[in-house]
Amino acid sequence: MSALAKAHHDVRIAGSKLPDVPLPTNCPGCGNALELDAMRKHNYVCPDCGHHFRLGADAWIALMADRGSWKERWGDVRSHDLLNWKVPKPYEEVVEQLLADGLNEAVRTGTCTLAGRPIWLAAFDFRFVGGTLSIVAGERLARGMEQAASSGTPYVLVSASGGARMQEGVLALMQLAKVNAALGRMHAAGVPYFSVLTDPTFGGTAASLALLGDVNIAEPGAAIGFTGPRVIKQATYADLPPGFQSAEFQLAHGQVDLVLPRTELRRLLAHLLELYP
Amino acid sequence: MTRHGRKPDETTLTVWQVIELARHADRPYSMDYIKRLAPDFIELHGDRLSGDDPALVGGVGTWHGRTTLFLGHQKGRSLKERVARNWGMMHPEGYRKAIRLAHHAAKFGFPIVSLIDTPGAYPGAGAEERGIAAAIAEAIMEWFRIPVPIVAAVIGEGGSGGALGMGVADRVIMLENSIYSVASPEAAASIVWRDNARKVEAAEQLQLTSRDLLAMGVVEEVVTEPEGSASADYDAAAAVLDEALHRHLQPLLLQPADQLLQHRYERFRYIDSLVHAEPHFGPKV
Repeated sequence: MSALAKAHHDVRIAGSKLPDVPLPTNCPGCGNALELDAMRKHNYVCPDCGHHFRLGADAWIALMADRGSWKERWGDVRSHDLLNWKVPKPYEEVVEQLLADGLNEAVRTGTCTLAGRPIWLAAFDFRFVGGTLSIVAGERLARGMEQAASSGTPYVLVSASGGARMQEGVLALMQLAKVNAALGRMHAAGVPYFSVLTDPTFGGTAASLALLGDVNIAEPGAAIGFTGPRVIKQATYADLPPGFQSAEFQLAHGQVDLVLPRTELRRLLAHLLELYP
Repeated sequence: MTRHGRKPDETTLTVWQVIELARHADRPYSMDYIKRLAPDFIELHGDRLSGDDPALVGGVGTWHGRTTLFLGHQKGRSLKERVARNWGMMHPEGYRKAIRLAHHAAKFGFPIVSLIDTPGAYPGAGAEERGIAAAIAEAIMEWFRIPVPIVAAVIGEGGSGGALGMGVADRVIMLENSIYSVASPEAAASIVWRDNARKVEAAEQLQLTSRDLLAMGVVEEVVTEPEGSASADYDAAAAVLDEALHRHLQPLLLQPADQLLQHRYERFRYIDSLVHAEPHFGPKV
C-alpha cells in the first residue's frame, strides 16, 4: 500500500454507488468477460488490464461527491439553435433528443463535498454532442469559477470533450475566452484548481481550461491533444507513433502532472484538498 | 471573378465567394499593413524559451506618434515563403512569443495592435509534442492580464482557436471580406459530416462573415474595403484599417489599467449576451 493510500484508506473510491454504464460483453483491452456490478465497484476500470471505460457526468458526480452532498447549479440553463443549423441534422432536434434521453448539456456543475471538504465540481459529458463546449457549458463553467474565486472554494474539473461545438459557430469559440477569463480570476484569487483529463479531451477544451489546472491529472490511456489524429494525418500525411497524444505521452511532454488510475483518484483529490487548504 | 475579386456586395456574393476573397493569394497580409502603418517598424524575434515562429510577426514601430507593438499572422507570398511561414499557422512558440512581447509592451506602456489572418493553429505532430493546446490556453488567459490597450483586426482568415489565441482584445474589428469561425469550413465539414468535401454547406451554416459576426455582437465594426476588395489597393486598404484601429484605440488610451482590464473581462464574459437575452437561457447569477 502506498503512503498516499495508507493515509487515506478511509476515503472510499467513489462517493456513492455509480449508475449503470453500458459495457461490452468483453473488455476491449484484454478480452476478458465483464460483469456490471464488479465493474461498478471498481469505478468501471477493468480489474484485469486497467482499461478505463468512459463515464458520463452523472457517473462522475456520483464518483466524486460525498453521498447526498451534490447541489447542482444552473441545470435549467438551456441551449439555443442560434445559427438555425439544419444539415445534416437540425441542431434543435439533436438537443431535444439528448435532453429526452436524460442528459443535461455537455457540462454539469455544482457544489459538493469530497471526503468532507467543500468543492466546486464541473463534469463534461461526452455523450452530449461529443462533450462540446457550448454557450450553456461555458456559462455554467464561468459562473462556477467566478463563485469559486469569491468564496475561495477549490475547483475540480473532469473533462471529456471534442472541443468547441460547431453548431453554435463562433460563439462556441468565444467560450474559450469567456471561460479562461473566469479561470484567470480564480487563479488570481489563489483558488486551487484540479483538472482531471479523461478520454478524450481535445480542441477548444484542451486549448482553454483543461490543461491549465494547478495540478493536471490524466487517466491512463486517455487521448489528450489539440488536433485529433485523423485531422493530423489528413493535413500532414504523418505517420503517428503508437501512444501519440496518450496521457502517458502528455506526461512525458510535460503537460500533465500525474497519470493515475480512476480507482485512486478520489484518494488523491482528498489528499490534494488537504495539501492546498 | 477578376484577378482581385469582384466588388464585394452582400446581395451578390455567396458565402463561399467571401471565403475565397478572404483567402485570396493577392490579399494584403499583416506585413503589408504594418509597413504602411509604421514605416519604422522593427521586427523582434523569439519566445526566449526555445524558438521563433515565422508564422507570427511581432515588433515595434511608431504609429500616430506613439510606439506601438504590432503582432500579426503572416502568410507567405511565394511558395518558398509560404513553407517558411507555414501558411500563417502558428506553433506553440508563436503564442509564447506573442505573450512575451505583450509583457514587453506592458512594461513600456505601448498599446498593442494584433492582426489576425490564419487558417488555424498548426495541425501537426510537432506542435502537439510541444504543447500547442496549453500554449493557446495560456495565451488566452494571459491576454486578460495585459494592462495596456489592445485592438485587434481580422484582416483575412480568423480560424478557430489559432485565431482566438491572438484575438483577446479590447476591441475586435473585421475587414469586410474577412471571416472568423469556430473551425475552417473544411474542418467543420470533416467534424459534422466526416467529409471535408461538404465545405460549402458547412460554410453556409457557420455564419462566419464579418456581417454575421457584427450581428452576433462578437466584433465592434466591419471596415468597408476599397473598390474591388483589399487585394485591389493595398494603400487604400491600409488607410481604412489605420483609421478604424486608431479610432478604436483613442478612448482606450484614456482608461486606467484596472478599468481597461475589467472592461476586457466583461467584453468576453458576456460576449454571448444576445443569447442570454433569450427568455429560455435561464437566470443570471
